[in-house]
This record gives sequence, C-alpha cells and structure tokens, in this order.
Amino acid sequence: MPLFRESGPVEDPWQRLGDDAPVPADGLVLVSFTRWREARAALLARRGPVGVALANTDPVEALASDTARLDLIALHFPKFSDGRAYSQARLLRERLGYQGELRATGNVLQDQAPFMLRCGFDSFESEQKGFGEALAKARTLFSVVYQPTEDGRGTAALLRLNRRNAVVS
Amino acid sequence: MAKNLSGDLSVASANRLTDGVVVFLDDAGEWTQRLERAAVARDKRAGDILLERAKAEAFTVVDPYLVAVSEDDSGVLEPLSLREKIRVSGLTFEAIAADAVRYA
Amino acid sequence: MRCVMPDTHFYRYDDYDRTLVAERVEQFRDQVRRRLSGELTEEQFKPLRLTNGLYLQLHAYMLRIAIPYGTLSSRQLRKLADIARKYDRGYGHFTTRQNLQLNWIKLEDAPDALAALAEVDMHAMQTSGNVIRNVTADHFAGAALDEIEDPRIWCEIVRQWSTLHPEFSFLPRKFKIAITGSPNDRAAVRVHDIGLRLWRNEAGEVGFEVIVGGGLGRTPMIGKTLREFLPKDELLAYLEATLRVYNRYGRRDNLYKARIKILVHEVGAEKMREEVEAEYAKIKDGALKLPAETIESIARQFAPPALPHRPAVVGAVEALKLEDRDFALWLKSNVSPHRMAGYRIVTVSLKPAGAPPGDASSVQMEGVADIADAYSQGEIRVSHEQNLVLPHVAVEDLPVVWLALGRLGFAEANVGKITDIIACPGLDYCALANARSIPVAQSISNHFARIGLQHDIGDLKIKISGCINACGHHHVGHIGILGVDKNGVELYQISLGGDVDFGKTALGTILGPAVAADKVVEAVDALVATYLDARGEGERFVDTYRRIGAQPFKDRVYAVV
Repeated sequence: MPLFRESGPVEDPWQRLGDDAPVPADGLVLVSFTRWREARAALLARRGPVGVALANTDPVEALASDTARLDLIALHFPKFSDGRAYSQARLLRERLGYQGELRATGNVLQDQAPFMLRCGFDSFESEQKGFGEALAKARTLFSVVYQPTEDGRGTAALLRLNRRNAVVS
Repeated sequence: MAKNLSGDLSVASANRLTDGVVVFLDDAGEWTQRLERAAVARDKRAGDILLERAKAEAFTVVDPYLVAVSEDDSGVLEPLSLREKIRVSGLTFEAIAADAVRYA
Repeated sequence: MRCVMPDTHFYRYDDYDRTLVAERVEQFRDQVRRRLSGELTEEQFKPLRLTNGLYLQLHAYMLRIAIPYGTLSSRQLRKLADIARKYDRGYGHFTTRQNLQLNWIKLEDAPDALAALAEVDMHAMQTSGNVIRNVTADHFAGAALDEIEDPRIWCEIVRQWSTLHPEFSFLPRKFKIAITGSPNDRAAVRVHDIGLRLWRNEAGEVGFEVIVGGGLGRTPMIGKTLREFLPKDELLAYLEATLRVYNRYGRRDNLYKARIKILVHEVGAEKMREEVEAEYAKIKDGALKLPAETIESIARQFAPPALPHRPAVVGAVEALKLEDRDFALWLKSNVSPHRMAGYRIVTVSLKPAGAPPGDASSVQMEGVADIADAYSQGEIRVSHEQNLVLPHVAVEDLPVVWLALGRLGFAEANVGKITDIIACPGLDYCALANARSIPVAQSISNHFARIGLQHDIGDLKIKISGCINACGHHHVGHIGILGVDKNGVELYQISLGGDVDFGKTALGTILGPAVAADKVVEAVDALVATYLDARGEGERFVDTYRRIGAQPFKDRVYAVV
C-alpha cells in the first residue's frame, strides 16, 4: 500500500506483525492493539522501534503512559465516512502529547486530507490515484481556519484579536 | 385498456449526473428522458440483466435502479408506484410561476 | 472579491470569513470537475456535495442555502431571487430550519450558484450531510419584548466553530443545534440534538441551559438537560466535549439509531452528563475559552438598529382598524409586539389560500426586499414556520406595509391560524417521502380560506410530514398529519396535542387508523367542529383537547371518514 507524507511518497520501513507471529528482536514493528496489550513489556524491552495500530473503537487513553516510547501509531478509517479516528488523533496529539508518526490507514482519500492534517496525522496509506499530489497541496487549500487544533494555526478569532490589538498599540 | 400489471415488467432509471433529470436506459444503452423509449425487461432474469447493463453505463448518471411498470395494449408504459409516476410526470400541483407577483 | 455591504444589524463578514467561503467554493468546483470526469465515484462524492448543500431529489438536485439564524439583509434576499431566476425555476421554498431550498439546480451550475451566493456573504456549507448543520434561532431575536439576550450572537459564534471542523466532519449522523434567548422558546430547543437556552440566574448572570438529545423523526424525543447553567465563555468547550463524545460513541451500525438522542437514551442522561463533563473539564480553560473581546466584537454587530422614536398610537392606524376588517384581523394575527413601543414585528405570511406553503417567487422575494428597505431597516427574518418576518416596522407604517404585502399575496391574516400550515415538500419533490404533503396542505387551506372563520377557530397549528423523517414537524403540531404508504396508496395518520410553544414541548398522540387522502379535509373539519362545540372560555384548540381528551375528537372523525 503506497505511503505518503506531505513531502511526497515514502518507503514504509515498518513491518506489520500478525497477532500470532513471533516478535523479531530488532527492526521497526507495528502490532495490533490486542498484541500490544498482551506483549507490551516484551515489545518495549526489545531493540527497535515499536508501533501500535488501533481500531477506531479502541480507547486511545490506554496508550497514555506510553506515548513517549511509541514511534508510530496507526489509526484506521474503515470507511472514509466513519470519522472516529479524527477524535482519536486529536486526543493522542493534544491530550496525550504524542509526538511520533501518526498514520492514517484504511479508506484514506484526498478530499479528507485537509481535515486529517489538522487533526495531527502526518503519514497516509492510500491507493487513490493522485493522492500524493493532492496531499502536497492539502495544508494550504484553506488559508483561513476557525478551530484551534494542535497544528498551531492561528484561528480567525485569534488573528482578529491580534490585528485589533496591533492597531490599538 | 388492459394493462399488464403482473409486476414482471421493468425499466432501468436513474438521475442524470449533470442536472439530476430523470432518465431511462434505452435499447441502445443510452439514457433518454422519454419513458416510451426505455428498454423493457419482461421477467426477473431480464430485469437483472437490464440493471447490470444500466450500472455498466452509469458513467453519466447517478444510482441506476429498476422501476416496475405496466404496459397497456398499445404498448404505453406507466410506472406502477406513485413515487415513480410523480418522478416521470412531475409535480402534482401548480408551482408558482417564475416572476409571478402572486400565487395564481 | 470586493464587496461592500450596506449597514446591517447583524454579523458582517470580514476578509477571513470571505476567504474561507471563496476557498470552499473553489474546492467544490474542483470536486465537481473530478466527479464529472469520473475521477470520483458517487460514493466518494456524495458527502462532498451534501456538505455543500446539494441534495438529489426525485426530479433534480436541490440546493439548500444556509440563512444563518434566519437573518437576511434586503441585498441578500435580492441575490437569492436572482439566483433562483438564473439557476432555477424562479422560486424557492423557505424551510423549517430557516434555510432556502431551490429545487431544480444543475450540478454543473452549482459552483457558479455558490460563487454568486458568496458575493453577498452567503453559502450552502453544511446544510446537509453528517455534520453540524445551520444553527437556528428565534425568528424574533433582537426585536422581541421578552428577550434576555440576542441568541444570534451565539449562533454566529457556533457557526464559525462548526464550519469545516476537522474533527466533526464525519459524524454518525446529522447534528442540529438551536438557540433561544427568551423564556418563550420560539426555536424549539428541546427537540434538537443540542438546544441552548439563555437565562439569567439569581446572581444576575446570563448563561446557557444545555439540553441534549432531543429530536423528531422516527423516534421523537425531548432533550435532557445536561447542564442547568453554563457560563457563556465556556460554550464552545462544552459543545466540543459533547460532539467528541458523540463522534466517539454514537452508533454507526444502523442509520436509524445514529443520532445523539439514541446515545443519550441508551446510556442514560446521567452517564452522558458524566462523559461530557469529564471531557469538558479537560478542555474548558484551553484555546476554546472565548475571550471577552471576541464575544464583544461579535455581539456589537448585532446591536439593534438605533430606531428613531415613533409614536406608539397612531390615529390613522386606529381609524383603519375600525374601517377595514381585513386590516384589523391582520393586525391581530400577523403583527407582534416589539421591544420599542412605536414599532411592531410583522410576520409575512407565505401561506396564501391554496398556495404551496412557504414558497416565494423571485419577484415576490424582491418585493419583500423592497418593503424591508423602506419600512424594516433593510432586514428580513425567516421563521421556522415557513414564513418571513419584517422585524422593525413602525406602527405608522403598518397600513402601507399591509397594502404592499397584499399586492404580493402575502397579507393573508392567517399567522398561527388553521391555514398557516407547515408542510414538508413531500412526495412531489422528495425521494424519501411516502406520500404527498403539499396537495393536502392546499386542500385544507382552500377549505378554511375564509379569514373570519379562521380567527374564530383561533390558534391552531397543523403540521404535515410526508414521511417519518418529520421535516414537517408533525409530532409537534396541534394537529399533526403524517403521510404513509399502504400498498401503494397514500394514507394520512392524524395526531393531536403536539406543541413547541411557550416553553412547552409535547409530542402528539395518534388519533386512530390513517385516513384516505380525500378524507383528510373532512377529518380536519370534524376535529374543528368538535373543538368549537366543546370549547371553554379562551380555550385554544389544543387546550380543549388537553381538557376533554381524544375520545370526542376520535368519535367525530371516524364517524365521517
């Protein structure tokens, strides 16, 4: 499955581990939430980065104490119209302070890329033709935003306050 | 006039993508606004085939589906359900005319 | 995009708002291009067009244009007339959610129509789809005598917060918010996904009662109060918390169980409150807290127009009232008190006898815009009852306004009366409907056309829906009529006793078996006759029903149908 960042298509260095497959001693390993709960200690003890793939019904709060030790969290869109992963993403970034790679997987389409970026996703698995090109432009498709998210963009409300205060002073 | 109301007859219909207009699949596989030109499937199997064809030709339309119709002795087709009758014939009341100062 | 708006007394777009709308139009233009070329499938495109207001109906696409908090300038109304003429069939329908629907739009024209709307700071964003919809308000906001605070200030704040919200653009289902600033709830807040009621507590502070999980449709429910008093500056944090809980836990397995009202029902109000309050506690002091200056800068724009003092009692008006019975009746039913003694609020009845309720032609819209310019500070409102409102008419100007509206056919003295019917578009237009509603409304309207009779019958709200989705709000009609389909035949189920007025919210009770289309008028006639025979002093139809119960009505109706 092609993987993209805003800068362009990238190779995926991560190995998705089946729930019954043995954990390799090193290398980048992406496990399911179930596997993570079963084998967390072992996974963290090994050399090599570990990532967790959550279903969109899994509680992100369960990763609260480990966000600093995970290098990848993959969230899932079973259908593009199922928006649960947007909330998961924001909670991971804004509540739990997660700073590693946050990947969108599943039914990932270019028209949702602007929303995904604002919620904190930074890598995307997509088979849609033209996704990469659209992703490169997605962040600037809208130069005005109303809502504050972790992306730090100044909202219209904030810019208005600054502008008013600049005029005054 | 006797009508074939057996419920076996159907045509394939959809809304045109560009403007939403109601259209029917004709024998040549084109979409026409004229119900009388619609390709008629005369039993369930033919209906399934007709629908498959309609879906294959769905590039210019939205969501094709089968509409049950009756056919009278002179071959005039009419949809069986009220919804489809309205879909074909339009509003059942007088809409206000464009540029009317008052409703009639 | 240069645009100079004349002085309005509601929120004025600045360059940020305009840029966002313009960018959205360009994004949609590209999405339409990719749909027409086949790059996007219908499944991928559908939510994109829904969130730009474009809905596919029986005969054509329908464009649902947002009219935020039901407030329009005359310039905007003229533009709507223009768009209806240029891109549609020269008429539109004002809806129960204060929007305007154009029924014959072409997809290929939609980007241009949206660009035209953008010229007057209007749009069709999020009027459909599983997103937060147009936030509705009291149609008398800013003018009503009983108002604590103008709810439209908050509608605008919520509008911005909810527009293109990155987290909440793919909710389980649609989400509707309504706000009232008055104890007499004219916004029906208890039957919305979130209803907000501004009120003043004992300490003299104004805050929100937050009501969650109300709604009509398949499973009508009255909302539960999650929070009695919420400080105003914490509104967005509370909304964000509520929407986040809904986005995470709302059902997505069944289309008919996906609204927030089902979530509240299934987990219970107590648990819902716990979840929302827990989330809210974590974010309330963050970036969503509203600075006083931000609130002020928006509130200022809704400051009521400085209305020149005009006399409260006008000899010419009093004289006309005595001379002309039609004018006198129109004053009684269509004219309401204003916070200033020399002014009134005029409801423009879009229910002429026999007409499709809530429709207006382009010429009629322009006519109303002209009257608004001359006599109502250039402002028009859209009510929830498919009528328009002129919010600031001087008493002195009532006769000339009445005559001008009369020339448009909009001076029928029937506001709140039996022919002030609310009807959804029904099977004539809508792909979801089971039965038609407009012809039913027309036949009732024609039957009871005599104005004197209507005033004698008094306040009586008939609401008609063509299917269980209840866009005609039949559950809360004094007489509710629901069209059903039985073996391909249209039948109409009658319910009695629904209400959304004066802070009271009640759902109607079904009277008995559904009646045939050609018996509906007789059934309504029998209901009215029962009421007229039994009514006590000062009792409205719905009051008599509450006193004597359904049986007398039922007996009379089923004796004739």
